[in-house]
Amino acid sequence: MRYLPSSPAEDRALLDTIGAARAEDLLSGIPEGLRLNRALDLPSQGSEQEVAWQMLDLANKNTRFCAQFLGAGAYDHFVPSAIDAMVSRQEWFTAYTPYQPEISQGTLQHIFEYQTLICDLTGLDVTNASLYDGGTACVETALMAVRVQKKRHTVLVSRGIHPLYRDVLQTAFAPHQDLHLVEVGLKDGVTDLADLQAKLNDDVAAVMVGYPNFLGAVEDLTALAGPVHAAGALLVSVTQEALAFGWLEAPGKVGADMACGEAMSFGNRPTFGGPYLGFLAVKDAHKREIPGRVVGQTKDLDGKTGYVLTLTAREQHIRRDKATSNICSNQGLVTLRANLFLQLAGPEGLKGLAAQNVAKAQHLRQRLLDLPDMEPVFDAPFFNEFVLRYKGDLAALQEACLAESLLPGLDLGRFYPEYQGCILWCATELHTRRMIESLVEILARVPATV
Amino acid sequence: MFLRQREPLSFERSVPGKRGMDLPKLDVPAAQDTRPAHLKRSGFDALPELSEVEVIRHFTRLSKWNYGVDDGIYPLGSCTMKHNPRLNEKVAGLPGFTDSHPMAPDALVQGNLELLYTLQEWLKEITGLPGVTLQPSAGAAGELTGVMLIRAYHVAQGAKRRVILIPDSGHGTNPATAAMAGYDVVELPSRPDGTISFEDVTDPVNGKVRKGLKTLVGELGPEIAGAMITNPNTVGVFEYRFKEISDLLHSVGALVYMDGANMNALVGVARPGDFGVDVMHLNLHKTFSTPHGGGGPGAGPVCVGEKLLPFLPVPVVVRDTVKVGEGEVPKHSYRWDWNRPQSIGKVHTFFGNFGILVRALTYCLSHGSDGLREATLRAIVNANYIRARLKDAYALHIDSPSLHEVVFSDTLQAKHDVHTLDIAKRLIDHGYHPPTIYFPLIVPGALMIEPTESEGKDELDAFCDTLLAIAKEAETDAEALHQAPTLAPMRRMDETTAARKPVLRWTKA
Repeated sequence: MRYLPSSPAEDRALLDTIGAARAEDLLSGIPEGLRLNRALDLPSQGSEQEVAWQMLDLANKNTRFCAQFLGAGAYDHFVPSAIDAMVSRQEWFTAYTPYQPEISQGTLQHIFEYQTLICDLTGLDVTNASLYDGGTACVETALMAVRVQKKRHTVLVSRGIHPLYRDVLQTAFAPHQDLHLVEVGLKDGVTDLADLQAKLNDDVAAVMVGYPNFLGAVEDLTALAGPVHAAGALLVSVTQEALAFGWLEAPGKVGADMACGEAMSFGNRPTFGGPYLGFLAVKDAHKREIPGRVVGQTKDLDGKTGYVLTLTAREQHIRRDKATSNICSNQGLVTLRANLFLQLAGPEGLKGLAAQNVAKAQHLRQRLLDLPDMEPVFDAPFFNEFVLRYKGDLAALQEACLAESLLPGLDLGRFYPEYQGCILWCATELHTRRMIESLVEILARVPATV
Repeated sequence: MFLRQREPLSFERSVPGKRGMDLPKLDVPAAQDTRPAHLKRSGFDALPELSEVEVIRHFTRLSKWNYGVDDGIYPLGSCTMKHNPRLNEKVAGLPGFTDSHPMAPDALVQGNLELLYTLQEWLKEITGLPGVTLQPSAGAAGELTGVMLIRAYHVAQGAKRRVILIPDSGHGTNPATAAMAGYDVVELPSRPDGTISFEDVTDPVNGKVRKGLKTLVGELGPEIAGAMITNPNTVGVFEYRFKEISDLLHSVGALVYMDGANMNALVGVARPGDFGVDVMHLNLHKTFSTPHGGGGPGAGPVCVGEKLLPFLPVPVVVRDTVKVGEGEVPKHSYRWDWNRPQSIGKVHTFFGNFGILVRALTYCLSHGSDGLREATLRAIVNANYIRARLKDAYALHIDSPSLHEVVFSDTLQAKHDVHTLDIAKRLIDHGYHPPTIYFPLIVPGALMIEPTESEGKDELDAFCDTLLAIAKEAETDAEALHQAPTLAPMRRMDETTAARKPVLRWTKA
């Protein structure tokens, strides 16, 4: 086995020092009857070359596309070469959680910088070292909101939030019979203000809305903040496409009390849904209720500035069943990718990239609307995703696209019966004018069957 | 290595006009500004302006202040810091995997689905349990999924149970998870050998009686939803009465959760499904060598017994056998099964940390049945070698047979006013990452050492020699230990002020 460094003579020496005849003798602590008395029924070890080919074979069984016009929480963005190169340094990818600050300053300073940037993007005061993904970030945020708002037990969730995030929320709230998730409907692609007002009451701890929402539409946080705050609830923005922060005002500056969501767009590929990057940012007043790891600045004995994990009195290894969450890790290496991405982009790069995404999406929408079978559904401003109704046969459209190695947008009817026949399209900086024209040409040829 | 004493925050080095990323030429009309005026991005306070050169140098310098697995032994107990094979990294970066979209139709991601199905088959055989979900992103996420499965099972039986039993030696995530899933935690006391006590335990100091497993099961019986038990436990000792514990809990309708953090001691040697475990998680970033990444991402698959199969999170990957002609090799196709009415729902937005699952299957295929068992045995031999070499210099608070890790106490050194923290920090001066310290809580001044199978005799000897030298030094020069580390990039940090007056981000002066 190429990963095991001992020679037979060294093995013998180890066992002699221990005073054991064979390695198996050291299993004496496991009762005989509980041991496995056969080999595992699995293939035997594979050489590096054999395994590499086996895995390549699996990768090749996935269909490859010239372009994917599908976002829906997993975005296709360009990844600068510096990112893969940097994260492949062993000092980053093999290191453990920075529990020993004297020999973990690299990770700790990086997280401090990452925290600074998440606060900058969201316009809020405090964030943590990250959460697993967008869906689980929603869970931690909702649970934190009911913790902060002591006597309130309801969280209002806009139907515009990613449907899978809402599923994850449902799962996590199911054990808590005293807590309630209530859906707020949509009107013209954004949260229905009348429905929201009807559902606000003094049991509502927080209201969660998409920014932009799952349908790509920009919610007017300022307009929502008025009634939400008047009812004593917290306004939470949920962002599944964090690149939008290069185009939209920071949620904390337009009424949000908490901002959470998914930041995979910063330096990651779609990778079949993970690992991604959940985030949560809050106001200073709530910092001791935030879940997860937090890095803070301090000094060492010589007065030199450095960084440590801090506010640990909230965490599971100290507080056990009274902790703010059971989370005990973060998305370490993915935060590094995001930090690298943001520092490479800088303010101008981020704004420019965001503006390109808007331009591409606007162009794609315009060109699709030139087709007789496509029509608009609502007119809310959008970032890099938008919804169109297709009057033709969706299955035929899908088939035609796949035949030309293009992955079309999401069939919205899968998650929203009220949008049956509608498609959620996405365009990013990766979609060239030519790709968009190919898509339009292919769609123009789809036979009308309806 | 640590050439520079200080690397400024990147924000402090920002210079207007620098760029580290350029954009392709825009080949479509510029965007029309459709935003309401008040939602236009106003600007940024921190985002730095730097070139690619500066960003790369900044992060390269920072990286040199980290200790990694390639620097040497990383003996963190319960963390299983083993070698991270480079093949696994390379494979996880294949564009066939990284480009694939989680919302793509099943027919277009057959490679991914086959990969996940295959990994599940390996984990089933390794644990002896018939069902797996790969969705949980970490050990703690796996625990939460597992406890929610237990809850769903009892709800389906029409039973309201409110208690989860957890040994006092358990990891903090266990009680935190039980609370997050809406349960009350009742603690199980340990025996002097570190295993769960069936009998009541009287505290020798304050005379308080703590109820043992038998009493608690007798008193709480139908209230108990389950127990969360780490095995081997956090002292590195196999719960040798595990089968009896399972039987006792099952007799009152409770289920058994096994925390699989220490599964590196059991792979190929014993299977939880064979000793009564109903549900457990695995830490792929421990046992299956996926890199720790400075704290993540990990993966915490959950394996379940028959009773819990209907409740697994959606979707579940399913293999269909396509009809072929007589005598031909059967062909398979794979799909997600979303139609599972008793499922607890989703626990991750998509399908879990897929990139990590790719690495874990690569590890499995490289090791095979024989390599997995060999790795387990070597991990156990290595821990016992350290135990044999250090047991005269450091106190073994618990003398039970060690498996993959060994826990010492600082009681011998405490006589010289040298404590676990001092020993740990002195190790840093010698170029080693310290072991896990002050855990488990049932061992005073615990030093929990897990070498893993990745260390050879030379590395083990050098590490043991260092710890022996530190034990000597404790007798002769305690002050040197109190001052340690002095050779690291930082000396001891003021953690109290960090928590009292938190500075959690940079702000413009």
